[in-house]
Amino acid sequence: MGSNKGDSKNNNKEQPELKEKLLDKIKKQPEFGVVIVFILITTFFTILNPAFIRLNNIAGFLTRGAELGIMAVGIAFLMIAGEFDLSVSSVYAFSGFLFIVIAEQIHSIPAFFLALVVAAFIGFINGNIVIRTKIPSFIATLGSMWAVRGLLLGITGGTSVAYTGDEFMPNILVRYFYRNFRPSHIWFIIIVIFMSVLLKQTRYGNWVFATGGKIEVARSLGVSVNKVKVINFILCAVLAGIAGIIAITRFRVASAAFGRMMELEAIASAVIGGTLMTGGYGTIIGAALGAVIMSMLRSGLVMVGAPSYWYNAFVGVILIVAAIVNLKLMKDIA
Amino acid sequence: MAQNQDFLVKMKNISKSFGAVKALKNVDFHVKRNEIVGLLGDNGAGKSTLIKILCGVLQPDEGEIFFDGERLDIKSPREARNKGIETVHQDLSLVDTMQIDRNMFLGKEPTKKIGPFRFLDKKRMRQESSRVVGDVGIKVRDPDEFVAILSGGERQAISIGRSVYFDAKLLILDEPLRALSVKEQKNVLQHVKDVRDGGTSVIFISHNVYHAHEVTDRYVILNNGFKQGEILKGDCPPETVSEYVATGEEVDEVLDCSIEL
Repeated sequence: MGSNKGDSKNNNKEQPELKEKLLDKIKKQPEFGVVIVFILITTFFTILNPAFIRLNNIAGFLTRGAELGIMAVGIAFLMIAGEFDLSVSSVYAFSGFLFIVIAEQIHSIPAFFLALVVAAFIGFINGNIVIRTKIPSFIATLGSMWAVRGLLLGITGGTSVAYTGDEFMPNILVRYFYRNFRPSHIWFIIIVIFMSVLLKQTRYGNWVFATGGKIEVARSLGVSVNKVKVINFILCAVLAGIAGIIAITRFRVASAAFGRMMELEAIASAVIGGTLMTGGYGTIIGAALGAVIMSMLRSGLVMVGAPSYWYNAFVGVILIVAAIVNLKLMKDIA
Repeated sequence: MAQNQDFLVKMKNISKSFGAVKALKNVDFHVKRNEIVGLLGDNGAGKSTLIKILCGVLQPDEGEIFFDGERLDIKSPREARNKGIETVHQDLSLVDTMQIDRNMFLGKEPTKKIGPFRFLDKKRMRQESSRVVGDVGIKVRDPDEFVAILSGGERQAISIGRSVYFDAKLLILDEPLRALSVKEQKNVLQHVKDVRDGGTSVIFISHNVYHAHEVTDRYVILNNGFKQGEILKGDCPPETVSEYVATGEEVDEVLDCSIEL
């Protein structure tokens, strides 16, 4: 019946059609699901305790949200290319530790970059193991997760190390600048914008989607899929390293147990944000919002007086619900 | 050299082994300009190995490739595409989870410069894809639609349209009619003829003679890694060609069924 377009009735029909089209467009945005979840959770906690949306509380959950979010953004970027990285939590801890140790000797700026070079190297190794041996990245990075964590434990002997370096990097990373807001919140936003533009507006981003979507197609059309994967592993590790150094400058102490299980929270953030486990589809902004949601849950549950033990149960439920909603939303795609 | 110009592709004495398995044994193969070559053979005959060598996915152990008058070592799919060799792999030419316009330009994305950075020229991608999609007669509301919603025939048509858009000199079609409805097969065959009439040579890979027969000018039959023979289509009934493929009987010289010539 759609054939009687273009006649005199067209004018009456134009309005609803346009509206429908717009609604359709919004629904097709990969961030749609996570934005709904975000609004629901905010509303839920605000009704139970209006203090939830006070500036200081927002700043509070953004602090943890930024650290998890920077890691989650890297994970999402790698997952879209069809690979996983479980070693991010170990890289997070190891980079933070390295930063503290190096900053004892030299200025904190080169210390920051040196620690990230090591993180990049771990990402490079991860990527090369995966493309050369063809073992699943889940296994490869499960191994490197333990290896790097073990290295950290071995070096520190399980003791914690306090920060004794200068204040330059701590200041530009985490020192309060307005109420409880920290520069890390802004760095987080900058990183999200950068990674999102890289994914959606550049040739490289197109290759990332294709590599994770159907690797044979990408290869036959001339995309260097192995290069894409290695670069994404490196980016993912570097972002985990940045997150780790931010957290370390906040706590001012590194311990070997730092950031354990955070890799799963980061993957959960990406999935809540609409990234497909199978690759080829996902969004940076979604992953970032997913991480903020995780952090909101922690803060919200405390504020409504629930024992913090309930956090894990909540995360579990939200993860499953979000995954189902996202899958339903994109059933015509996958 | 003038004689050489009749040939777009000339592959000489190509051999390729995978471990102990010899996939191709001293195969000679050529494609003339404006010619549709039907590459036939059973599974494992060496069709896809030969094609993968031509489109840069594999490198031959022995042999030479001449393309458009020059000797080429095709080291990667990207290099092949840059020379004008476009391949439409069966089921493997588009990414389902990406939009049509992103697929259309995959690997050859147009960019515009903003400051020191290069960004995708999305406006151009949308416009050009809309045009190509329209040219091959597909109705989609928006090049922003995901490829997943397209039928098999629409995908083949878009893939062929893409090759034409990128000025392919040689179009390689790998089993393009498999899993298509009869109506869609007709459409795709029409596109293949249009491509040839536009000045592009085509290699049409099939294990089914009847699929290729309508458009093919000349058949090349592979069997067990050897070239079993060539048949100029002319008036050859498909049954005759099919017979050769099925029996593996050697075709001594170029078999010419055409009455004239």
